[in-house]
Amino acid sequence: MSVLTRVAVVAGVSALALSGCAAAGPQTAAPSPIDSASQPVALSNCGFDVSFDSAPERVITIKSSTTEMLLALGLGDRIIGTAFQDGPVPAEWATAAAALTSIAERVPSEEAVLDLEPDLVFAGWESTFSADGAGARADLTSLGINTFVAPSACQSSGQPAKLSFDDVFSDIETVASIFRVDASELIADQSAQLASIDANGAGRTALWFSSGSDTPYVGAGIGAPQLLLETVGLTNVAADVDATWAPYNWEAVVDVDPDFIVLVDAAWNSAEKKIGVLEANPATANLSAVKAGRYLVVPFAASEAGVRSVEAAASLSAQIAELDG
Amino acid sequence: MAKVSPFALGSALAIALLVSITVAVTIGPAEIRFDEVWRSIGSHLGIGVSPLTELRDGIVWQLRLPRVLTAAAVGAGLALSGAVMQAITRNPLADPYLLGLSSGAALGAVSVLLLGAAVLLPFAAFVGALLALTLTLLLAGSLGAITPSRTVLAGIAVSALASAITSFVIFWSVTGDSYREVLSWLLGSLSGARWPAVAITMTAIIVIGIPVMLTGRLLDSFAFGDIQAASLGVNVSATRWGLLAATALVTGAMVSVSGSIGFVGLILPHAVRLLVGAGHRALLPLSALLGAVFLVWADTLARTLFDPREIPVGIVTAMIGAPIFAFLLTRRKSST
Repeated sequence: MSVLTRVAVVAGVSALALSGCAAAGPQTAAPSPIDSASQPVALSNCGFDVSFDSAPERVITIKSSTTEMLLALGLGDRIIGTAFQDGPVPAEWATAAAALTSIAERVPSEEAVLDLEPDLVFAGWESTFSADGAGARADLTSLGINTFVAPSACQSSGQPAKLSFDDVFSDIETVASIFRVDASELIADQSAQLASIDANGAGRTALWFSSGSDTPYVGAGIGAPQLLLETVGLTNVAADVDATWAPYNWEAVVDVDPDFIVLVDAAWNSAEKKIGVLEANPATANLSAVKAGRYLVVPFAASEAGVRSVEAAASLSAQIAELDG
Repeated sequence: MAKVSPFALGSALAIALLVSITVAVTIGPAEIRFDEVWRSIGSHLGIGVSPLTELRDGIVWQLRLPRVLTAAAVGAGLALSGAVMQAITRNPLADPYLLGLSSGAALGAVSVLLLGAAVLLPFAAFVGALLALTLTLLLAGSLGAITPSRTVLAGIAVSALASAITSFVIFWSVTGDSYREVLSWLLGSLSGARWPAVAITMTAIIVIGIPVMLTGRLLDSFAFGDIQAASLGVNVSATRWGLLAATALVTGAMVSVSGSIGFVGLILPHAVRLLVGAGHRALLPLSALLGAVFLVWADTLARTLFDPREIPVGIVTAMIGAPIFAFLLTRRKSST
């Protein structure tokens, strides 16, 4: 039932998106309301039923991926507070982002959330909805506050078996449907950019080094890292591990000797720090990618599925081209 | 249950340890043949030429061998410290971490992992462990003569404080997925063990551990209480202080490279007691040997069970150790 609901909603939105296409100007970033979508949007989100009688007006976003999703849809004016941001937003949204207020450096408390009287809390990680975090979903719902998690980030249920760009675009469409706006232009742009990406990593291997030092925490076989690596033709050394991210083993990495190492760059764990880890460990210091400096860098916020996924893949491809000379 | 001859058990464990190290180093996610592994190790010892490429040679020499040797040393050190701690506090629930050592070490380690203190992690953990121990002993000493129960209670107080500060630091400053590294350390892991870890742990075993192993007769006199020990001519207070300090140094060295691996120090001495009896002259060296064998295999499982994923060895030690210990307990019950 829940899956059917979601499919029906997404299919309906796609149809509306198509019909709304002609009306939207080619470069408008402003939301274009869809009149016919005034009925409630009901869907199952990570196994939790949510229903939106009208487009949310007062939104708190937790994690950069959610803030950027709304900015990309031209919904920056609906955000009354952001929390747990991973870094600065890309230049294209910087103007809109300048007006945003950060309410917490990390996960806000439930009281801090309630204080702002939001009608939606939109989180990039399902785990932020807990009694000792931003509040349990059922509690917030009973207070009239809707909750939503980017579906690709679901953990309890509803996570894609293996993330594809269809899932990424479907996430964007689902969010657009909640806000009664048209995502077709954004998705068309992203599809076009995706189609133009050169899979120049073909035939070569890569390690997605997310964090850790003694035990590396790596991008595994079913999440955003795998999707981005596949898109540029690279074979993920941890592709066989059935997880989005997973603790891995240096021996297995050294055994493969990957051609490239992807470094996730976060303010709290920079790409430079990871290079230091690789060079300090005598076994990994001898990896060909380390010796030749064949690193590909991805900003942390772009390493999670969302509106920056296509751009992240394009950037990987460009970095490969640069290293290939 | 019939007691085993300590000498027979000791010989069996010594052989088992050599075999375990020999075999464990050939097991891992990368498929390298038994003879290739040992020819590679031989080449580093000046015998022949390694048949492996530089990278695969690094797997054997930089990752596997130091890790297996560290596991053996840490296992021996923890089991020995546990046995000594149980004897001098006359508390069967005592373990090497009892006097606040692991909480102090954790605080030191977390300060490095999360606050980015500019010192090496093992050093910070070691200093943390010793500070906690000093606090424990000062507190116990301020209550009068240092008795077992006062020391244990003081240890509980210091542990609670250090744990609270550690939790606060984690809660306050953990970002993104850096909690994973902290968690792995808190659960006990040997994945970071390289040659410096071998040097630290082996030195602790040789310089402090082996002399402590020879104090069995002294500890036997403790078994019936301080007064009896004193009547046997033992300087109770000096002995207790000396052994506490020695085991604390050993444990501090172990915890500094491995985090707090549970179970080994608490349960293995009991397992040895069930097999050979409570005499400390046999108990101390046998506990050390059994601890070494046990941790070599526990860590081999930790790195290969879910190959190529890894889990903290502390999870494995408890998961395998608890059922084995329960089995030993039931065997004893049926025979008494």
